Amino acid sequence: MLDKIDTGSAQRTARLGWTGVVRFLHLAPRAFLPMRAMEQLTLVAGKGIEGDRYMIGREEGFYSHKPEEGRQVTLFELETLIALKRDAGIELGPEEHRRNVTVEGVPLNHLVGRRFWLGETLLEATRLSIPCRHIEEITGKAIFDPLINRSGLNCRILRDGIVRVGDTVRSAA
Amino acid sequence: MRVRPITTIKTVVAAIEGAGTGIKLFTLADPDHWELPPFKPGAHIDLHLPSGLVRTYSLCNEPADNARYVIAVKREAEGRGGSRALHDEVGIGNVIGVSLPRGGLEPGAGIARHVFIAGGIGVTPFLSMARHLARTGDADFTLHLVVRQEAPLASYLAPLIDAGRIVVHYTSRGGRPDLASLVGEGGSKTLVACCGPESMIDDFERVTATWPAANVHIERFVAPPPVIDPDAKPFMLSLARTGTEIQVRAGQTMLAALQEGGIDISTSCCGGICGACKVGWLEGKPVHRDRILSPYERERYLMVCVAGSEADRLVLDL
Repeated sequence: MLDKIDTGSAQRTARLGWTGVVRFLHLAPRAFLPMRAMEQLTLVAGKGIEGDRYMIGREEGFYSHKPEEGRQVTLFELETLIALKRDAGIELGPEEHRRNVTVEGVPLNHLVGRRFWLGETLLEATRLSIPCRHIEEITGKAIFDPLINRSGLNCRILRDGIVRVGDTVRSAA
Repeated sequence: MRVRPITTIKTVVAAIEGAGTGIKLFTLADPDHWELPPFKPGAHIDLHLPSGLVRTYSLCNEPADNARYVIAVKREAEGRGGSRALHDEVGIGNVIGVSLPRGGLEPGAGIARHVFIAGGIGVTPFLSMARHLARTGDADFTLHLVVRQEAPLASYLAPLIDAGRIVVHYTSRGGRPDLASLVGEGGSKTLVACCGPESMIDDFERVTATWPAANVHIERFVAPPPVIDPDAKPFMLSLARTGTEIQVRAGQTMLAALQEGGIDISTSCCGGICGACKVGWLEGKPVHRDRILSPYERERYLMVCVAGSEADRLVLDL
């Protein structure tokens, strides 16, 4: 059934769309270390983020022993942080979810397999992130269950450049 | 490509300084001086020494001093080897893996008065708390340090001794102090804590026996055994392909037992949702705690990160 649905047809008739914004940027050079807030990140096509633990070739992340070409940059929704506070009473900061880019107004779960612009960089979403016990160990907060199905997005970088806080995020479809 | 998972925080020895007879202070930092994972006053870390030994030490610096971990190590010639290795073999620039900080006390938390009682090098768990409280003024505290004739970390402690916040009791001159009088009256706003030799801890436990448990804290040199679910039972894993038998201790995960047994298991989330550690089972009665296997799949597979066993023996297709 699903393979017969043309997902582009509604876009043509109803002008579906979204525009989002980069709210926070973070990186860490090695596993376990606190994520540090940055004003900008340098994204390198096909590689990752300069200075980040998961940059391909650097391999200093907690999951680097499980290499993944499609995990060059990771995104997380600000709306999820707000929902965690509202629905579960858990205050999780943008430096605690351990993804690189916190965006607002971007429906991350809809983007798997699609391309979109993050500022001047072009990304392709490869898969949804999944929650892990490692993040509970680091934060000391019981967030595994509340993050199921909203744990962010893994992407590969198609066109490199500098991403800054405040940059626009928009579909490249 | 990295083959082995990273299981510790990478630090380098940035400084080593003498701090009294047989005591050295080691400063551990990130290679790029990045901030280290945060800790509570009184927290401790495991050091994974180059020889393979794993030893636990209290953090002596303040939580606000967040780009280094400072530990004080007394060389115990007759100890189990950790302090000797640190004193004799570890130098500046050496790489040491450490665990995430654990334990410690939540400063504030409705406590107005702290009384810390330390025996000798047992002062280390209280140093970060004492400095934190002295700097922030969040609550009153006194640290009673009981020593035979020489206070450890003397120059390190001097400012707090001069300020009257640390009181040193020399047993060679005045005998052992009366812990009851040092501890004083209890109350919901008073927290008392002790770290020292077993005989001192025994006395402390007697003196505080009627106090509410939440207001008494004991720090031991040797970690207490882990708290185990009272309903958890040990069981035997039998690996069908190799004939290997591996014991899973009560409360231990199947994954940890397999890894201890040298079995390489792919893992990722460790919470029963990603499926990386899915393993076939052949005989037994597994307890499934994952969130993804269908009833049909559970007849053949389990997730070793969360699954248990109802029976004494479970046969895996490994």
